[in-house]
Amino acid sequence: MNIPPGWAWLGQALLIIAGIILVIWLCRLGERRGTAYLADRPAYLRPLALLGGVLALLSALLPWVTFELNDGVYPELSTLQFFDEPWGVTGFRGFILLLGLASIVLAFVPIPAKRRVYRAIGLALFGITLFNTGFIIYYGGGIGAATAADGVVAFGGLVGLVAAAVVWFAHRSGPLEQVPLWNSKVSRAVAYPVLLLAFIALLLVVAMLLRAGTTADGDSRAYAGPIFLSLLFFISGVILALNGLGFTKWLTDVSDKHRLWSVVVLLGCSIALPFTEAGTDYWMTIAVNIGVYAATAIGLNIVVGLAGLLDLGYIAFLGIGAYVAANFSEASAAAFGIKLPFLAAAIVAAVVAGVFGAIVGSPTLRVRGDYLAIVTLAFGEIFRKAAQNDIGGLTGGANAIPDIPPISAFGQSFSAPLEIGGVKLPSGVLYYILVVVLVAVVMLVFANLKDSRIGRAWIAIREDEDAARAMGIKTGQAKILAFLIGATLAGLAGAVFAHKTSTVAYDSFQFIESVTLLAAVILGGMASIPGAVLGSALLIVLPEKLRDFQDLRLFLFGLALVLIMRFRPQGLIPDRHRRAELADEGVVEAPSQEHNVADSTPGGGAAVTR
Amino acid sequence: MATLLQQLISGLVLGGQIALIALGYTMVYGIIQLINFAHGEVFMVSVFGALATYNWFIPESWQQTWPLALLAMLVGAVVVAVVLAVLMERFAYRPLRNAPRLAPLITALGVSVMLKEIVRLSFPGATAAVHVPRAFWDEPITFKVPGGTVVIGSTGLLVIVVAIVGAVLLQVYISRSRMGRAMRATAQDPDTARLMGVDPNRTIVLTFVIGGALAGVAGVLYGVHLNNVDTDAGFLTGIFAFTAAVLGGVGSIKGAVIGGFIIGVIKTVGGQYLPGGTAYDLVWIFVLLILVLVFRPQGLFGEPERVRA
Amino acid sequence: MTGTPVLAARDVSMVFGGLTALSEVNLTLDEGQILGLIGPNGAGKTTFFNCLTGLYTPTRGTVTLRGTRLPSDPAAVTVAGVARTFQNIRLFPSMTALENVVVGRHSRMKQGPLASLFHGPAYRRGEQAARDRSLELLEFVGLGRVHDELSRNLPYGDQRRLEIARALATDPSVLLLDEPTAGMNPQETEATRQLIFAIRETGVAVVVIEHDTKFIFSLCDHVSVLVQGKLLVEGTPDVVRGDPRVIEAYLGKPPDEVEAEVRHYADETADHTQVIELDGGSEGDKR
Repeated sequence: MNIPPGWAWLGQALLIIAGIILVIWLCRLGERRGTAYLADRPAYLRPLALLGGVLALLSALLPWVTFELNDGVYPELSTLQFFDEPWGVTGFRGFILLLGLASIVLAFVPIPAKRRVYRAIGLALFGITLFNTGFIIYYGGGIGAATAADGVVAFGGLVGLVAAAVVWFAHRSGPLEQVPLWNSKVSRAVAYPVLLLAFIALLLVVAMLLRAGTTADGDSRAYAGPIFLSLLFFISGVILALNGLGFTKWLTDVSDKHRLWSVVVLLGCSIALPFTEAGTDYWMTIAVNIGVYAATAIGLNIVVGLAGLLDLGYIAFLGIGAYVAANFSEASAAAFGIKLPFLAAAIVAAVVAGVFGAIVGSPTLRVRGDYLAIVTLAFGEIFRKAAQNDIGGLTGGANAIPDIPPISAFGQSFSAPLEIGGVKLPSGVLYYILVVVLVAVVMLVFANLKDSRIGRAWIAIREDEDAARAMGIKTGQAKILAFLIGATLAGLAGAVFAHKTSTVAYDSFQFIESVTLLAAVILGGMASIPGAVLGSALLIVLPEKLRDFQDLRLFLFGLALVLIMRFRPQGLIPDRHRRAELADEGVVEAPSQEHNVADSTPGGGAAVTR
Repeated sequence: MATLLQQLISGLVLGGQIALIALGYTMVYGIIQLINFAHGEVFMVSVFGALATYNWFIPESWQQTWPLALLAMLVGAVVVAVVLAVLMERFAYRPLRNAPRLAPLITALGVSVMLKEIVRLSFPGATAAVHVPRAFWDEPITFKVPGGTVVIGSTGLLVIVVAIVGAVLLQVYISRSRMGRAMRATAQDPDTARLMGVDPNRTIVLTFVIGGALAGVAGVLYGVHLNNVDTDAGFLTGIFAFTAAVLGGVGSIKGAVIGGFIIGVIKTVGGQYLPGGTAYDLVWIFVLLILVLVFRPQGLFGEPERVRA
Repeated sequence: MTGTPVLAARDVSMVFGGLTALSEVNLTLDEGQILGLIGPNGAGKTTFFNCLTGLYTPTRGTVTLRGTRLPSDPAAVTVAGVARTFQNIRLFPSMTALENVVVGRHSRMKQGPLASLFHGPAYRRGEQAARDRSLELLEFVGLGRVHDELSRNLPYGDQRRLEIARALATDPSVLLLDEPTAGMNPQETEATRQLIFAIRETGVAVVVIEHDTKFIFSLCDHVSVLVQGKLLVEGTPDVVRGDPRVIEAYLGKPPDEVEAEVRHYADETADHTQVIELDGGSEGDKR
């Protein structure tokens, strides 16, 4: 009797899984042992940092790939190049070189919070080397691609990994230092230029990131993913290091104190993006998408981040706004023959979405917590079904509403290229500016509301609803208001969305889109405005850059949600309130044993005395 | 008359599947107050598990004899579902047990997306609907009623019977056995239960195991009854099942089953008679869900929750 | 000390399912009075508070504030002028002490959604006034120096005081304190006693639930004893203290054992206080 084929496959799969678990286990064990050994040996910092730095330099100069991969030569001439051009390395090997040099130099320079900086360097090195090595092995079809094959050796990747580990261990020598606190009370003469420079740097970094891995025409080139991610890891490392030095904290404090100037500069920088190397048609479209998403995400942030109400059907409000705008646009499939000027249509869209928001929010009067999430999900699905079935002839059903004309003002169509004083700007630049204004307005609404009577009421409800009511807060009203305002902002974004994409179809508003918006909010950091923008940007730019992994997109997305909740529930740029709430409670290991021994919150301690 | 009866029967068959999944939702929510969004996906994965077992894990001679094939599929599906449920509990939910309530819920969403993608990417042909063999005896039962005939497929009957028998057995287990008592205790007050010597972790894992096993059974029945499956099967069925659990009253086994049947019947009969037809059947279910949550949040058989201060 | 009644509960009964938690409880609180509510565990004290503040709707009976019937909506009750603290502290943990108190000003601020949105001059004046009043209240309870700390990082005793400040921020005419000294050491308890006297001086009538009979008898003008959901005895501390039924029902023991019992209880609370203070301390250090 033949053994059916599945069993052999199952055996293999189990072996592979066991292998992966073993490797992870070994790494964790090594990390723990190494940490324990180094904990009281601060003197090891310098030698380890030096060794790691040298290894990193070596890794940057060694070849990385033994043969040409399928899509052509791996970027930055990493094939078969052995100290050929020591000063000519660029791209990811350039980053490794820089990180290695930094590691060596900093070993001799007295700076505060050194270990925090080495942690950042180690992480950046680790990200770059692991990803590139992994990619080479995966794409080259075996370990040989990154080590030795056909008599050719290329150990750059492995040396890089070792370098990363050594630098990481350098930071484990002794306890992490406190983040230094710098005096943020500086005069305008200092603050203004510093903020200006910082925002210009931010603009350049964004432009660089957008352009990473593209050809001169802006098309995606081979290995765009590794190129982009290497740059991203490098920049993240730099930011993490600045964070460890207390610089970012100082900068945010300074910009808090000079708010108006910061806003002006930020707006100026945003509008300057089309003039940078990212000023192509393609990136203008992406930037507009990010803006629409970010505006919607900030609206959602009012509901989820401030008021603490989980909404799983939020994309419906974007949809409602889009359909309303489409119907007033004089597209041939529009239900009304009237064409409203864009601004009027946008306001109608916002109002209609807001009304629906209040309707969807009204069950909050009676429904709490998780159940509310389900109610909102149900509303979202009802909307999608209704749109799919062309309810009232308003949505076009499966045919969608196509051919929505672009916005035009002063005789200039927003989707056409623009020329000002001889400078030719990419098409879509006007949409981009419109979206910048939209996001700015939405941010202003969010920031002002958060810092007001109603915003405090929302936060109070999020933290303890009964206590909020005992403070005289009419929680029902406040929650419905949160839904109403959030939906209004989404409706506004929807109006822009309709004109920009020119087609509004029901399948743009699926459940997964609501989850994506939620993910943008969570990834960036709940209740945090820059967080929502960053989250939206990442969730839109990453899939664009990682076309090599397009199939894995949703899988990685799900995995990211799980990992964020597990390891960084406060998000990338946490809000001050949220940080306090989530940082400690979010990641309690094995709570069941600790629970009845000592509850670390003072409030919880009260229960013990009774 | 015949049409109504026919739709009613289809509804009960659908309801039986929903009920089996709803039991998993209701038990997990009852014990750790988590809406395990991924439970619907566990069900979906188990259908593919059953199919994989049939295709690649049993000899051809078994494939020809349906009782052997069905048994093997059942084992395959249940094993897959249980392993998945336990892994999920251990690695995704347990670390978050004391986290703010949003965290596990969002994790559940993430797990659900992941599971769906894993199947879509790794199961050959799963980017579209995949055929599942019938693996059951093949005689539809026909009744004569005034105005026509009503047919109930043998697999449909099986679904209804298994759902009811499964729920009864579960009820007996929970009310009679030692572990069942531990579960009820943990659901009411985990801290006190721990003081009484109940290990909450074991109890919670057991809850996931039972929920997973029932989802596995539901998976096999779904496959042999409908004869095809795609990766979207989990989401909607999962939402229906959750609705059923809420309708019946979360934590109540009887409620989950009756809720399941009600949902099934609303979908088929409502799709026939309510305005909008089948295009809006889903909408009616969601409207019912919202109404129940707003006006009777404790469901048909649940106990009202008291405000604590 | 007598005056016009501020808060009056008439025949308040509360039934959960088949269980009678309160049966026909009457209570009258006069202007400027400090009233103590004592009773063994499970006597229904907190349930009674919840009925007074609208968190529960009494099955029967009414609660009136200066003759006006109070609605069964906690927010409306607070607006009417009855504020409370909670038995197990319920601050807004990730807000600072000051922000917690400013939330208490919510119902006394006139800022509408539009002002919230546009931050005009009226908004700024209102915010400043709320802030000033809140800082004043924090000073009043002795927390002025820590107004910028996150409330979750405050030591236990400060959290209790902060909760009182937050309740006072709603400009109440009646303040209900649910075990304000639970888990405090003798010094903190004494400070709280002085604080309650000071609150009375500002014209707020106070109802206090407490286990610590010594504390109650040295604080209150009037004491009501609740046993198994029924009002057993009420009167001045001296009357209540001497009543054999109270001693019998409250402690279930003949009078001569009571002293020992009370002392034992005090020791027990003191022990817990230490544990909690350690917790509070480490919490503060962690940041």
